[in-house]
Amino acid sequence: MTDEQDAKDAVVIERTFDAPVDLVWRMWTAPEHFKAWYGPEGATIPVAKMDVRVGGRRLVCMEMPSPSGPMQMWFAGEYREVVENERLVYTESMSDEHGNTASAPDMGMPEGHPTTTEVRVELEDIGGRTRMVMTHIGIPADSPGAAGWAMAFDKLSARIATLARE
Amino acid sequence: MTAAIDDERLSGTFAALANSTRRGILDRLIEGEATVNELAEPFEMTLPAISKHIKVLERAGLVVRGQQAQYRPCAIDAAPLEEVSSWAERYRPVWEARFDRMDSYLRQLREQGKGGERDD
Repeated sequence: MTDEQDAKDAVVIERTFDAPVDLVWRMWTAPEHFKAWYGPEGATIPVAKMDVRVGGRRLVCMEMPSPSGPMQMWFAGEYREVVENERLVYTESMSDEHGNTASAPDMGMPEGHPTTTEVRVELEDIGGRTRMVMTHIGIPADSPGAAGWAMAFDKLSARIATLARE
Repeated sequence: MTAAIDDERLSGTFAALANSTRRGILDRLIEGEATVNELAEPFEMTLPAISKHIKVLERAGLVVRGQQAQYRPCAIDAAPLEEVSSWAERYRPVWEARFDRMDSYLRQLREQGKGGERDD
């Protein structure tokens, strides 16, 4: 999948942190740091297993309080690119606690939500501070239903985008 | 606007799009306004059948009908489509909040570091 294809269905966020690049790198790759910031508000990260090397697996558990007791959500994935202090790319899918992935609709996600997503983190040292660009991209699922939705939307959104530029 | 209302509207949009005839109608409308007759042309369907599909699209806010002209041409309103086409936009606030926390966590680490160095 190319960057051009990704662009229309991705979150791209750029931030500059007042911290050295190696520390920002550890925010993503060292479980004790990752747990400190990753969880959504009110959630904790009881498990963050990270085998940070190309092909290495990752498994993250988010725990949220709910009326019926703590609710756990598991996310599994694989590291695709690891260039220390520069570039980190990993995939992410909802999974069980053993890292067996499940499709997005099976996990109660809205239709159209990709089953697998990819997170790219690019870091750059700017005189002791760190510029970070994070890209979160949906990878089209291979199930026929999901592909149909994706195609319908791709076609329509592409044309809407064209229309908007006119 | 609450998340529940948002979800309801999204479901309505998805339901409206879950039909190839209706997606075909939207495709045609992207090229410009059209009357019901014009919209019916490519489909082997009766006018009432096409009108029904248009009403579903109208209820979902995807199609608006002209008020002045007698034949009331249909036009597309892309706003609900952009919303459903982008699951990614739903994630943006989650990431923004995470990076706010990363920022304050980094600040906290720095303060601790400085404190440690200064402590006699």
